Amino acid sequence: MFDLAYQTIVVVIGITAILASFGVILCASPIYSALYLIGNMICLALLFLLYNAEFIAAVQIIVYAGAVMILFLFIIALLGAKKEEKTSSWEKPAAFAFVPVLFGELLMALTADAGRPALGQFTEELIASVGNAQAVGMELFSRHLIPFELASILLLAATVGVICLAKFPAKIGGRRTK
Amino acid sequence: MIDTVTQFLSDNLVLIVGAVKAAIIAVALLSSVPLLVWLERRLMGRFQVRLGPNRVGPFGLAQPFADAVKLLFKESIVQGSADKFLFFLAPAVVVFTAIVTFSAIPFGASFTLFGQEIGPHVANINVGLLFVFAISSMGIYGIVLAGLASNNKYSLMGGLRSSAQMISYELTLGLAALGVIIVSGSLNLVEIVEDQAVVPNIILQPLAFILFFTAGVAETNRAPFDLPEAEQELVAGFHTEYTGMKFAMFFMGEYINMITMSAMVTVLFLGGWNAYFFEFLVPPVIGPIIVFAAKVFLLLCVFIWLRSTFPRIRYDRLMTFGWKVMLPLAVLNLMVAGFFKVL
Repeated sequence: MFDLAYQTIVVVIGITAILASFGVILCASPIYSALYLIGNMICLALLFLLYNAEFIAAVQIIVYAGAVMILFLFIIALLGAKKEEKTSSWEKPAAFAFVPVLFGELLMALTADAGRPALGQFTEELIASVGNAQAVGMELFSRHLIPFELASILLLAATVGVICLAKFPAKIGGRRTK
Repeated sequence: MIDTVTQFLSDNLVLIVGAVKAAIIAVALLSSVPLLVWLERRLMGRFQVRLGPNRVGPFGLAQPFADAVKLLFKESIVQGSADKFLFFLAPAVVVFTAIVTFSAIPFGASFTLFGQEIGPHVANINVGLLFVFAISSMGIYGIVLAGLASNNKYSLMGGLRSSAQMISYELTLGLAALGVIIVSGSLNLVEIVEDQAVVPNIILQPLAFILFFTAGVAETNRAPFDLPEAEQELVAGFHTEYTGMKFAMFFMGEYINMITMSAMVTVLFLGGWNAYFFEFLVPPVIGPIIVFAAKVFLLLCVFIWLRSTFPRIRYDRLMTFGWKVMLPLAVLNLMVAGFFKVL
């Protein structure tokens, strides 16, 4: 009974996420596209929540729905939210051909390793005993320490790069232009 | 028939208790808004050596209700150039996020009622602090959308200013709260309060307290940081085009956010419902809630005091202050807190 209700909720949220992502690419107005993307991210956070990953759900909302998408809306507001006009180009048929290829790859990935479920060392009981944030922290700072630090250095370099690009005028022909 | 009903009730007791608590808190928050408006107008009157509203009812207490009736019966104007859906969505987002944010905040010690242990909070979330930040950061959308949907240059400017300001000060808010997390070692708000049973965090983390409160004032768009609605330059910013109840909803959101921010400061720094030296005066069940409410009330008065004392600061100074003063101080505080924790 409860399990059925749980599965129903999972499926409904998953379908909502897919519909929202269709909304992102099908909407003519960039504001509505951005709003659909926010909806999609909230759905993903809810899925994390349903799979007992409270910490990741909260971080998903803070980082993606809260910070990244606000900047998207900010840019849309700055550049003016004009509706797109429909134009035909060669990209469309290419995209339509690309989608089944991606789905095929997804199906192959699902069927290739069906016997071995992708389970980590953290079971539901273990997470409940050590706490959600602690579980993520222990994984991140022990087994995945080097990738984590590399990613943080990459982000720092990107930040410094953005400031350099924005702050100092570009040199054209060896001369500083204002 | 009766059996199935009682069976259903006892099976879903957790859900029912949660729903009742959610309803009580939502109603209490919404009905405290007019009282807070009354308090603000009365106190502002005293601060500015005038009387404030004192004609309607005793001490002018019926004034906010008269105002509410007026706002409800006002004509709702939606200008033709506005995006109708977003125009209606924006105030709803502001009020919704403001109420939901409060659901994670514990405002009293848990007690037993009819054999059930009841904690005075809607949800005791494992990552409660992050939940509060997550939902309150969604509240910015209401203001940005109001600016975008109104199709008005002043509104757009107000919305943009507001989002830039809230993003900037959110960082300081989060980093200041991290200092508290380092001290108490938990993201759970109930555990953070219980950790302060002997010494409140304001003594251990005085700099974090000042940073958090200042950033909190900026987050709630209150004076002296009320740039989005600067009357002289922006003719009231993002809510220029709003009338009637939709206009009032923005203020409801702002006042509820004030209460939530005061409650967060109380939970994180002032020791929540711990009364310290006055513990012997506190009655058992209702007492902790009164202690908590008294601390929140004190902080709300400070909010009003700030508004009537400081002039609004200039926009570039606001940004400079946020990024070049508050943020480095918050990082410094974090490093010092981490250093002492390792020690």
